[in-house]
Amino acid sequence: MSAIRTIVDWLDDRAGVRELVNEALYESVPGGSRWRYVWGSALVMAFVTQALTGIFLWMAYSPSTQTAWESVYYIEHEMAGGWLLRGIHHYMAQMMIVLLAIHFIQVVWDGAYRAPRELNFVIGLVLMLVVLGLSFTGYLLPWDQKGYWATNVGTELASQAPIAGVALKKLAVGGSDYGHHTLTRFFALHAGVLPALLVGFLVLHIMLFRRHGLHAKDRNRAPDTTFWPDQVLKDSVASLGILAAVLALTVWKGAELMAPADAANPYDAARPEWYFLFLFQFLKWFPGELEIWGAFIIPGIVVAVLFVMPWIGRSKAGHLLNVALMGVLFGGAAFLTAQALYDDNFAAWNEKTEDNAARYEASQGFLDAKQEAEHEARRVIELARSPAKIPPTGALTLVYNDPYLQGPKLYKQNCAGCHNYADPENSDLRWAYLVNKNPSAPNLFGVGTRKWISGLLDPKQIVSAHYFGYAGSPFVGDGDQTDMVDFIQESLSEDLDNEQRQAIQTAFKKIAAALSAEARLPSQAEADARDAEMITEGRALLTGGLADLLESGTSCTDCHTFGEMQDIGSPVLDDYMSRRWLLDFLSNASDERFYGELNDRMPAFAPHDDLRLNQLDHKSLELIVDWLRSDWYRPSQDTDASETANP
Amino acid sequence: MANPPASQSDRPNATKNRRSFFAALAAITTGAVVVLTPLAVGVVTFLSPLLRKRQSSTVRVALLAQVPDDGLPRYFPVVADREDAWNRYPQQRVGGVYLVRQADEAAPTAFTAKCPHAGCFIGYAAGADHFQCPCHTSAFKLDGSRVRGDDEVSPRDMDQLPVELRELQLASGETATEVWVEFIDFQTGHKQPIHTT
Ligand code: HEC
Ligand code: HEC
Repeated sequence: MSAIRTIVDWLDDRAGVRELVNEALYESVPGGSRWRYVWGSALVMAFVTQALTGIFLWMAYSPSTQTAWESVYYIEHEMAGGWLLRGIHHYMAQMMIVLLAIHFIQVVWDGAYRAPRELNFVIGLVLMLVVLGLSFTGYLLPWDQKGYWATNVGTELASQAPIAGVALKKLAVGGSDYGHHTLTRFFALHAGVLPALLVGFLVLHIMLFRRHGLHAKDRNRAPDTTFWPDQVLKDSVASLGILAAVLALTVWKGAELMAPADAANPYDAARPEWYFLFLFQFLKWFPGELEIWGAFIIPGIVVAVLFVMPWIGRSKAGHLLNVALMGVLFGGAAFLTAQALYDDNFAAWNEKTEDNAARYEASQGFLDAKQEAEHEARRVIELARSPAKIPPTGALTLVYNDPYLQGPKLYKQNCAGCHNYADPENSDLRWAYLVNKNPSAPNLFGVGTRKWISGLLDPKQIVSAHYFGYAGSPFVGDGDQTDMVDFIQESLSEDLDNEQRQAIQTAFKKIAAALSAEARLPSQAEADARDAEMITEGRALLTGGLADLLESGTSCTDCHTFGEMQDIGSPVLDDYMSRRWLLDFLSNASDERFYGELNDRMPAFAPHDDLRLNQLDHKSLELIVDWLRSDWYRPSQDTDASETANP
Repeated sequence: MANPPASQSDRPNATKNRRSFFAALAAITTGAVVVLTPLAVGVVTFLSPLLRKRQSSTVRVALLAQVPDDGLPRYFPVVADREDAWNRYPQQRVGGVYLVRQADEAAPTAFTAKCPHAGCFIGYAAGADHFQCPCHTSAFKLDGSRVRGDDEVSPRDMDQLPVELRELQLASGETATEVWVEFIDFQTGHKQPIHTT
C-alpha cells in the first residue's frame, strides 16, 4: 500500500492527480444517484467500445475495392473471434443511435437545454450529427452489395443538393464513380476525421456538463450524493446491460456480410440502416423535382429548428412547443419507419388481391431480391473458404466464375423462354424462379443423369411435356411423330407379354446407365465406377444387342452414331451430354452431329468462327453447361493443395 | 469548477462508508467487465495469426539432368502456391535453393538460399569455391559448412532441405527424373535448425 501511496504522492506533486481524480469522481449528484442519469455515461461507454473494437478491426481491414470485402470476410470467417469483434462494433453502432435518441428525448423533456446549458445542447447536437456520419461512412466499408447500393443512394441524393451537389458527391466519392478512393476517403472519415471530431466535442460536452453540474430532476428526492461510487455503479450496470444486449444480438444474428459489391448487378433490396429508413420512406412523398424538398430543405429546416430549441424553450410555452415538436418528430419517424417496413414486407403479411397488386408485387420483388442476395452471399463465402481461396483480382471474380451463381442467371436470360427447369418430383425452391409452366422445349432439369435418360426411354414420359411432348412439339401428334418417339413407343407397346416387357425394360435401364456414363457427370462418378459391368452391357445393347430383343429388330445404332458404329446418323450419342458435347451442341444444335434438319427451334448460340457474330461467348456457354451438369465447387471436395509442381 | 471536491470532513459515516465500499467494488468490477470485454475480443482477434500454422510444401525444382555431378552449386527458384490471408496466388516464386551433386551421388543435396544468420539471400558467383551472404559477409563452403566455423556471424551451417527423386513417365515412353524438395522455412539466429510454424 505504501508503495502505491508513494507513487501517487509523486504524481500528485507533479501533476496534481489527486485533485483531478477528486474532481472527476466526487462531482455532486443533487437528490441522490438515479437510473435516469445513466444515459450520458452509457453513450460514452458505447463510444469507448466502438473506439476499441474499431482499432482492432482497423488492424485487419484493407480499404480498396479488391480487398475491402475480402478483408472483412477474413475477419468475419477466418480470424479467431473476428465475428464477435465485428458483431460488437456493428450492433454497438446501432445501440449508440438508440442511446442518442433516449438522451435527446430526456434532455428536451426535462428542459435541460435552458440557460446556461444552451451551448452544451448545441454541442450535443453536433455530436449527434458526427455519430450519424460515422454510421453512414461505416455502412459502406465492408463493400458488400447492401452497403454499396444503400450508400450509393445516399451520395446520389447528395449530388442533387443545390449549387455544389455534384462537386460534393465527387469529393465524397473521390471521382465520378465508386472505387478505391471512395473507400480510402470513407475510411479516413470513419476512422480518423469523425472520431477526432467526436472526441473533441465530447471533451467540450463533458467539461461544460461538469461546469454546469448535473441537471437534477428532483433535488429533494434524497440526500445529495457524489458521482463516485453510487452513480458510477448505476452507470456501469446500465452499460453492462447494453453490452449484454449487443453480445446477444451478435450471437443470435451476427453482423451480416452480403456478396461483394458489384456495380453491374444492382441490389434491388438495398435499404439504408433501419435508423435511416424513415428518411428513405419520407423521400417517397416527393416525386420528381420535388425531391430536394424531401432530401434537403425539410430535413435542413428540422435540424435548424433542433439547434434553436434552447431559445424557443426559454418560456414555458416555448418549452411545451419543443416537447410537442419532438413528439411529432419521433412519432413521425416511427410512423415512417413502420410504414417502410410494412411496405417491404407487404407480400409476406398480406394476400394478393386485385387492388393491392402493384404494392404486393413491389414487396415481393424486394423479398425475392433479399432472399436471392442472402443465397448469393452464402455461396460467395463458401467459395472464399475453399482451398483455392480468393484470387488476387478479388471475390467478384469468384462470383463471375461460379456456374452455380451465373448459370441460372444466364439460363433465365437465354433459355427459360422455351425450356422448363423443374424437378418433376420435388420442387426445389432454389430454382423455383426458373420454372416455365408452359414450356415449348424439353425440361432440362438433370439433363444427362440416368433418371433423365430413363425418362426419355419411357413410352409415357417421352411424350410428356418434360421431353418431346411440350407445347407445339412437331415430334408428337397425328402422324407427325419422329422416329425416336415411334421407336420407344413401339419397343414397349401394349401387346407385349410381361416377360418380354420386363426384359426390354431391364435392357433400357442398362442402356440408360451406359448413355448416362457418356456424360461423365461429377455427381454420378461413383455410380458410374460402381456399375461398370452394367454399363458395358448397356453399350453392347445400344450398339446392336437390343435388336435381338425387339420385334422391330432395330437398336439405337440403326439411327444414331455411337461407339464402334460410326457415321450412322445423328444425334451422335458419343459423349452425350458431356461437357464437350453440350458446349458443341449449344454452339450449334443444327449441326449434322446433332439435330441437323430435324431441329425444332433450338437456337445456335455460337455457330460462327467470327466471335463477334455469336449470341453467347464461350465463357457464358461454359457457365451454363457446368451449371446444367451440376458441376460446381462443393465444400466437401477438398483438394490437396500442399503439393505443387512446376509446369 | 462549480462543485468543489468533497473534503475529508463531509465524508459519510462508518456504515455508509462500508456501503459505499461495496458500491465502489461493484462499480469497478462492472466497469472493468464493460471495458475489458471488447478489449479482450479485440486482443484475441489480434493474436489470431499465432493460431495459423505454416505448412511447408514439397515442390519440383528441377530435372536431375540439370544438376550434373560436378560438385558445383546450381541455383533454382522455388515456385509454389502462396497464401496471403484471404488470397491464394498460384505458382509464385517463394524462394530459392542451391542443388549440389557430388560425383557418383544419385541425388543432389539441397540448401535453402536463406541465410541462417539474418535471413538474407545467400549468393553464389559461378566458379567460386564458396557461398557468400551479401548482408553480413557470412561465407559457406560448397558443402554448406561455415568457412570460419564458429567465428562466422552465422550461428550454424547452411540449412539442408529433404530431397526426393521422382520418375516422370513421358509420352514417348522414356522416363526422366525430377528433383523434388520440401521447402522448409527455418528460424534464423539459432545454433539448431528450427522450423518456423
Ligand atoms: C427458341 C426456344 C429455345 C431456346 C431459347 C433454347 N432452346 Fe434448347 N431446345 C429447344 C427445343 C425445341 C429443343 C428440342 C429440339 C429437338 O429435339 O429438335 C431443345 C433442345 C435442347 C437440349 C437437348 C435436350 C433434349 O431434351 O433434347 C438442350 C440441352 C438445350 N436445348 C439446351 C438449351 C439451353 C442451355 C438454352 C439456353 C442457352 C436453350 N436450350 C435455349 C428450344 C429452345
Ligand atoms: C428409328 C431411329 C432411332 C432409333 C432406333 C433411336 N433413335 Fe434416338 N433419336 C432419333 C432421332 C431422329 C432423334 C432426334 C429427335 C430430335 O430432333 O429431337 C433422336 C433423339 C435421341 C436423343 C435425344 C437427343 C437430344 O439431345 O435431343 C437421345 C438421348 C436418343 N435419341 C437416344 C436413343 C437411344 C438410347 C436409342 C436406343 C434405345 C435410340 N435413341 C434409338 C432416332 C432414333
